[in-house]
Amino acid sequence: MPTTFAWRRSFFAAVIMMAAPPAALFAQWPSYPTPGVPRTPDGKPNLSAPAPKTPDGKPDLTGIWENFRAPAQTAVPNVKTAGPNDGVLPVLQTNNDFLALVKRSPFWNLGSSFKDGLPFQPWAAELHRQRVADDNKDNPDAHCLPMGMMQFHNHPEPRKMIQTPQVIVILYEANAGIRQIFTDGRPLPGKDADPWWYGYSTGHWEGDTLVVQSAGFRDLGWLDVEGSPLSDAAKITERYRRPDFGHLEIEVTIDDPKAYTKPWTVAVHQRIMVDTELIEFVCQENEKDAPHLTAK
Amino acid sequence: MPSRSCLRHVAAAFILAAVQPALFAQWLDYPTTGVPRTPDGKPNLSAPAPRTADGKPDLSGMWGWATIGPPCGARCTDLQIGWEFLNIARSLKGGLPYQPWAAELVKKRRADNAKDDPNVRCMPRGALRIWTDDYYKRIFHTPDRLLILTERNMQYRQIMTDGRPLPVDPNPTWNGYSTAKWEGDAMVIHTIGFRDDLWLDSDGNPLTNAAKVTEKIRRPNYGTLEVEITVDDPKAYTAPWTVTLHQPLVLNSELLDYYCLENERDFVHMVGK
Repeated sequence: MPTTFAWRRSFFAAVIMMAAPPAALFAQWPSYPTPGVPRTPDGKPNLSAPAPKTPDGKPDLTGIWENFRAPAQTAVPNVKTAGPNDGVLPVLQTNNDFLALVKRSPFWNLGSSFKDGLPFQPWAAELHRQRVADDNKDNPDAHCLPMGMMQFHNHPEPRKMIQTPQVIVILYEANAGIRQIFTDGRPLPGKDADPWWYGYSTGHWEGDTLVVQSAGFRDLGWLDVEGSPLSDAAKITERYRRPDFGHLEIEVTIDDPKAYTKPWTVAVHQRIMVDTELIEFVCQENEKDAPHLTAK
Repeated sequence: MPSRSCLRHVAAAFILAAVQPALFAQWLDYPTTGVPRTPDGKPNLSAPAPRTADGKPDLSGMWGWATIGPPCGARCTDLQIGWEFLNIARSLKGGLPYQPWAAELVKKRRADNAKDDPNVRCMPRGALRIWTDDYYKRIFHTPDRLLILTERNMQYRQIMTDGRPLPVDPNPTWNGYSTAKWEGDAMVIHTIGFRDDLWLDSDGNPLTNAAKVTEKIRRPNYGTLEVEITVDDPKAYTAPWTVTLHQPLVLNSELLDYYCLENERDFVHMVGK
């Protein structure tokens, strides 16, 4: 736990700053048992038990979720997952190990698992190249600004989903962010919607899959640390499934003809965290990095 | 960029943002469902408060604040701050019962034009300023917690109603740690674990890490939230004190995407007298 804790709380800038792991865990909410957790006979959480349902019979996505590299055999067919598919986080011995691992992760580079990388339009390829050459110094996350949907999906800090009848709320521990997905039947706003960091999201159920459609993004957003761009022409479709108690699978399709020559899809795998709570994290508190972020 | 253009009390010195000529399309007009109506079709704000499945008042909704001038609604192009944003204890005759050092601190903060208000640096405003803030908030009343989303910085506060105890010696935080239970139709929230350096308002009234805060929240009718706040902070004040704030319900609207740190240009200009 201490290693994981230090890792996920300290991992936030474009340039990886290796914060010293805290010597001890500070008391936040003490370990308070999550109610309704299915257990195996030996008392451990039974992650493969059936997913809970809401009163209207839909899967309940409520829970605290952490990023998880799914074992290869459970990967979504035809969807490529970046990074090693070994199912466990490796033991990190050195900063270089850490960096090598991170750079293979979808958080760092969404295109890492595609044979030919992402299908950039020429200008987007040039922008991506420039952002990498600049050591990603302009990544909003490095300046404590909202990092947008995909960096939040892949971020090491956990997020909590709270499903209510009309809105699904996602609280992000990273920078105490929030996102709302409206399931009350409202349409997406028109093309003149004020551009937002997170865009506008509406969701509906197709069987046991929550299908979320989003539009209205700010132009030239960052989908990953390398800065694979997202334009204001983008439409994003996310398909959320909770196949069992312990896992959340999100298939994300980016349809952004301004920045990419064709739509592309990536999978995000998350795992439940029980008996815990989000902690308070405010990025801009005592922020000292920004002046030191420079291009090569 | 704040699209809900307004007279924002951005910093210690009043900075009056230019009023935008038009509102951009957001989700400001989508009708709220389940609103009680008067015979002429208008929202009946004095109708009884809705109830949750277990019979308690449902505190859910998007809530505003009591403005200095007449209220003008969520599409207002001239939003105003509330008096309590400037001084949370404005309604208390005789002022706050400061400990001597706290009185001195407030004096100094005023003399410095409140330039060190964390608000000026786009930091969180802390749990209690959610109630006096000039930004809308949306409350989600769920079976195991009250969740408050705030428009400012798109941040949140959680109030646990699942029966857990307050933590012992917790890591200090902006929002503290909150648990709540019902006393009749009032949700009573207890909060501890604040940072030692919080500002309760732009006057700089302090809140310390010794503070125990009680908030009693009622919804006396459909359109009103009543928040009675008692601050018991013996380090900063010689006696506990209580203020009551009323918050109006906001219909047919939604929180906007607002991030204080974006294009922040004020801080370097903040100076004391």
